[in-house]
Amino acid sequence: MGSKLAQLLVAALAIVALALPAASQAAPPKRIVALTPFAANTLAKLDVMPIGIGETLGGAERFSPKLKGVTTLPLSHPNGPNLEQLASLNPDLVFSSQTWAKGNQAMESLGIDVVLHDPRSIQGAFADTFKIGTLVGRKHYARDLLQSMRKQVKSAVAGIEKRPEVMLILGVGRTPFTFLPNSWGGDIVTRAGGELLTGGVKSSSGFERISDEVVVAENPDIIIAVPHASADDIPSLTEYLRDNPAWASTTAAQAGHVYVSVDNSLLQAGTDIAATIRKVRRAYLKN
Amino acid sequence: MARRPLVFAALLLALAAAVIASLALGAVKVPAAEVIDILLGNGRGGSDQQIIESLRLPRTVEAMIVGAALGIAGAILQGALANPLASPDVIGVTGGAGFGAILIIILFPGSIALLPVGALFFGLLAATLVFAFAWSGRNRGSTGKVILAGIAMLSLFTAGTTGLLAAYPERAPSAIFFIAGGLTSSGWQELQTIWPYFAVGFVLAACLIRPLDRLALGDDVAASLGSRPQLIRLAAGIAAALLAAASAAIAGLLGFLGLVVPHVVRMAGGTSSHTFVVPASGVGGAALLAAGDTLARTLRAPIEMPVGPFMVLLGVPLFLWLLRKAV
Amino acid sequence: MAYEEGLSRDRGPLQRGHGPMGVASGPLEGPPVPAQLLEAHGVEVEIAGTPILRGADLSLKAGELTAVVGPNGAGKSTLVRAVSGLQKMAAGSVRWQGREVGEMRGRELAGLRAFVPQRMPVPAGITVREAVTIGCSARLRPLRRLTGADHEGIARAMERARVTHFAERTLTTLSGGELQRVQIAIGLAQEAPVLIADEPTSQLDLGATIGVASLLRDLVGEGLAVLLVVHDLALAAAIADTVVVVSEGRTVATGAAEQVLSAERLSAVWDADARLTAHEGRTALHVAWLRDGTIRVP
Repeated sequence: MGSKLAQLLVAALAIVALALPAASQAAPPKRIVALTPFAANTLAKLDVMPIGIGETLGGAERFSPKLKGVTTLPLSHPNGPNLEQLASLNPDLVFSSQTWAKGNQAMESLGIDVVLHDPRSIQGAFADTFKIGTLVGRKHYARDLLQSMRKQVKSAVAGIEKRPEVMLILGVGRTPFTFLPNSWGGDIVTRAGGELLTGGVKSSSGFERISDEVVVAENPDIIIAVPHASADDIPSLTEYLRDNPAWASTTAAQAGHVYVSVDNSLLQAGTDIAATIRKVRRAYLKN
Repeated sequence: MARRPLVFAALLLALAAAVIASLALGAVKVPAAEVIDILLGNGRGGSDQQIIESLRLPRTVEAMIVGAALGIAGAILQGALANPLASPDVIGVTGGAGFGAILIIILFPGSIALLPVGALFFGLLAATLVFAFAWSGRNRGSTGKVILAGIAMLSLFTAGTTGLLAAYPERAPSAIFFIAGGLTSSGWQELQTIWPYFAVGFVLAACLIRPLDRLALGDDVAASLGSRPQLIRLAAGIAAALLAAASAAIAGLLGFLGLVVPHVVRMAGGTSSHTFVVPASGVGGAALLAAGDTLARTLRAPIEMPVGPFMVLLGVPLFLWLLRKAV
Repeated sequence: MAYEEGLSRDRGPLQRGHGPMGVASGPLEGPPVPAQLLEAHGVEVEIAGTPILRGADLSLKAGELTAVVGPNGAGKSTLVRAVSGLQKMAAGSVRWQGREVGEMRGRELAGLRAFVPQRMPVPAGITVREAVTIGCSARLRPLRRLTGADHEGIARAMERARVTHFAERTLTTLSGGELQRVQIAIGLAQEAPVLIADEPTSQLDLGATIGVASLLRDLVGEGLAVLLVVHDLALAAAIADTVVVVSEGRTVATGAAEQVLSAERLSAVWDADARLTAHEGRTALHVAWLRDGTIRVP
């Protein structure tokens, strides 16, 4: 009699022990909206199709060709996407970023789950890729993807011959901000073999405002300028940065090593990390 | 004399039309029949119902409340200060609220939920400073002193705001939406926090209607009738400050309404009696903002543009037409 | 030209006087009002550090018209505003029906006296009836509606002030005299036993002045007490039961016009060589305008 009871108890416990993890493993979200290019491209790489992707006005993002045909939601301040449009897509999950803080709040109040991913380093991008994979139920796929990404990056940084001194400058209108090592662009350039000069400033946001005098004082070998303006103003800002008279006395300017990077690859995390590193090495650092 | 009820009826009609448009139109097409069903409680669930109930309805209600608040704030200030150029900007509220909001947007972007609180706090602070300066020393509470103190405070806070924007230009885009003034579809949250300030402001304004009429006959007559002119001005200032600061907390800096709507209403109704002008400014302001907001979010849908320019577009022609007729 | 010697007491159509026992009586129904409505003693007022009134006295009785006269800057308006409770006093006692003015709330005082300023701002788009209604609404609680009795009171005030025939016109379309009568109507809407007017006729032409003057006398005949500040001494002599002369912040004389406005007083207070005469219902001030004694008119 006692042993029968004991057997029943063990069986019950076993069932519960097996059932629990299965129960907690709720079905992965089906309807996903990705408002950042990083999240969108990561999902594409994981073979998970989002039902909507976000595109800023001016649309300079680089999207995977797999995402062609997916509904695009124009993003503007302060909410990000138009909430009515978003609501009509009926999403389970939205990948967003800190930029759309107000919109994120509104989405939460509509009962939509919002997850923020805005990696600012290559390591962070790897970690976020894994997290996204886990969230959408593709953990193993994500693990494999990561392995191949790591291999690609490793080969992209192989054979670095020299480490020139580089200043990576964000031109917000005519005001220069320096990329810090804790920014996406700063991390890419550092990994690509550049020695990032920052004029000694620090900031948790990854950017800090400096003056042109600091640029001259640091006297880098290479200056990479990234224009930050509305789509219409980018061409004129590019011209200005390329021939910026304030930097004329630097080694970089005199050797003709002032470059302007117009795409978003240094500004916003992307999934084509290895390709970005290669481009930086080939076009700018020449190492 | 039949003119006034007619004008009031016309304003109510305009408000009804604006509200209907605001609920029926948007970035997503929802058929009119369905909108009615949802409003009557017979919705069939789904994203359409969510859009109407959680996005458009709170936004329409916000537009009405903010529009009414700004119209009424302008009307009672113009009456209390006996100056046709008076508006909530003049008592420093708009400048202070703008500064408080930009402070949060730029320095604490992670705590965006604090934005209405920041705007409200600094808006009321600015108004308090204006009253404190205007009620001190000689000529206490005179209109001239209030207006000058208000201008000084406005300049101070505007300079602070500009300084913040210049120091952090990369965060400027999110601030611009606030400065240009606009509602956002954020559900009922903001109203839930801010409604007490609106309530007190509206009640105070209602109680001030008759005293303001007395004030219109001059300080001496008002005193003879047993009122205290300076107290009336102070109370009007407080009511206007509450209404304007609460409005700025929700809808950013909308400067046009408070100044122009009372004038439009006065010219249309042919009277400056506050019993007509104050409520009519409320209805007129609500209609104008609801209409402007609808335009702002449907013209270039799904992009939502700031509402300020659209109110000017709607209001200025009407204002100029009435001006021609009046003079 | 023959000038009268001194003043003759020919009253003519301008009747004066109050009923027996010094108690006001007349068309105004209600309990008898105490005869002494206002008692002011030793009123001192300082404005921006400058003493304007240095001890003035004033009293008002029902059914009497009191005129306050004096040169510019003497403190006439200040005295009248101080007793009305519109101007803070540095010292002195002002009692309305026995109650000290400083102790009373606005509404209570509004029921005891109505103050009519010289010129009120004229808001656009307000009709005469609406303006008088505003005067009446002061007695109501903040959001209470006007009752039938209130509307009757408004109609009565307009009738007494003789503005009923243009009740629906807007204030901006009125002449000076009409506007002054409307101001009086607003004051009457308070239904107080005393009407105080600060220079109601100084800006009016002759005809309008006569209109307001006879209106005020009629109101006095109904039992109202009227306190006026006037510049025109001939007018004061004609309509006032009591004349109060204010000079350099003090009340220097109080009494009937013929006694108070003697040639000596006119010379002492106004520095004028003048004489007041009354004849066949008209008063006149004879003034030597030019000091050398010659004038253009033969």
